[in-house]
Amino acid sequence: MEFFIRHKAIVTLISSFIFCTVSLSVQSSTFTLSLEGLGSLFLMPFQKSYNFVQKGAQVMWAGFTELDDLREELNQAHVKLQEYEAATEDLTEIRKENERLRLLLGFNEKIVYKSIPAQIISKDPDNWFRTIVINKGSDDGIRPNMPVVAFTGEKKAVVGKIIEVRGSLSRVQPLISPTMKVGVRLQSSRYPGLMEGYSLNSGLCIVDYINKSAFLQKGDHVITSGQGGIFPPGLLVGTIEDSITMDSSAFKQALVRPLIDYNHVEEVFVILKIPDLDLIELIERH
Amino acid sequence: MNVSYIFTAIILIVSLIMQGHSSFDVLRIGGVKPDMTFIAIVYYSYSFGSFYGEATALFSGFFHDSMSNSPLGLLTLPKVIVAFAIGLFGRAVIKSNVLTIIPLVFGASVLKGVITLLLCMIFHEASVSDIAYIILPESFYNALLAIPLFLVFDKIYENELGREGSY
Repeated sequence: MEFFIRHKAIVTLISSFIFCTVSLSVQSSTFTLSLEGLGSLFLMPFQKSYNFVQKGAQVMWAGFTELDDLREELNQAHVKLQEYEAATEDLTEIRKENERLRLLLGFNEKIVYKSIPAQIISKDPDNWFRTIVINKGSDDGIRPNMPVVAFTGEKKAVVGKIIEVRGSLSRVQPLISPTMKVGVRLQSSRYPGLMEGYSLNSGLCIVDYINKSAFLQKGDHVITSGQGGIFPPGLLVGTIEDSITMDSSAFKQALVRPLIDYNHVEEVFVILKIPDLDLIELIERH
Repeated sequence: MNVSYIFTAIILIVSLIMQGHSSFDVLRIGGVKPDMTFIAIVYYSYSFGSFYGEATALFSGFFHDSMSNSPLGLLTLPKVIVAFAIGLFGRAVIKSNVLTIIPLVFGASVLKGVITLLLCMIFHEASVSDIAYIILPESFYNALLAIPLFLVFDKIYENELGREGSY
């Protein structure tokens, strides 16, 4: 016993090494998962309380300082509302025409999904991982693999997908994560590809398996293809930054910058689309 | 010493919240946030020896792992190893001033980054480009932030340091 006390630093190092190595080797076991759950359980109340206090202070401060800005924004909102009201009539006509033509062509009816707003409580505290924690969870009907979107200006674009759900919290894996894979399509040329995170702090994604005959132009939009069982088709993802063509490869690659910046996103919407679990399992198995 | 344990717990919880909460995204430079928990660990190991640093690294590492999407142990082990290494020489060998704190924290951050990279390559996913994108920027950032933080910690632990004869 005296030996352990005298060499407690080395004993701690060796036991930590053994514990961490075993934990990393069996990382999917319920033992390590429940330990992680305990840790989250301890820290999340602090984070939630801080979030509550910070939001309250922000609202109070805004009451004093942002009245002029609010008045200006209200005027702008009135003008925009009038524009949208005028556009609604045109849109109704276009929607009806679209539905009639779809019916004539025998296309399936386009499914419209409900979505719920959520606020970001925290982001991954470490630079090696990129996840977002939001204040809505299984109590609000959120399930793993549901798509998450956000607005940038007037455009709605993909943020990522739900990977972990607890009672009133969920964890979102963003597009820039290297382990995230999304089936995408080039909006203008309609060529499909598979997108994944490039490198964590680059803020970029890479689209692989694009047909070599595809013409890639900087600024072209990339949208979801709807083929992975998670994201509905047609959601904006990002814009092309650069293209990579290698003689040794049968495909082209494109570097894509997501429209939603991970570092600045604050509010998101979870699309309540039930994921196609059979399809996801099939893709993950291969 | 009980007061210093409470201070340590408060410092670790505050730094973990600061690293995680989106309202502190202003701290990000080039997408990288400083690892304030790690700076605190380096300080404890440097000032109070390997064991104190390792114990702090172990607890904060587990919390870090549980808040992050990392597998349990991936962020803990590098911190424990670095805490042990720094505690071997500590304040008795390297005197506390700006010229020693910067290289000490920079070197410790690089070592932590390299160990994390190796662990990520074995157990998770990582690429060598992470040295340029994560390890080096984070190390520079940690080294710069360490100067004011070490001064603050010196003030907080003035009594303990005085008792150990290193202040």
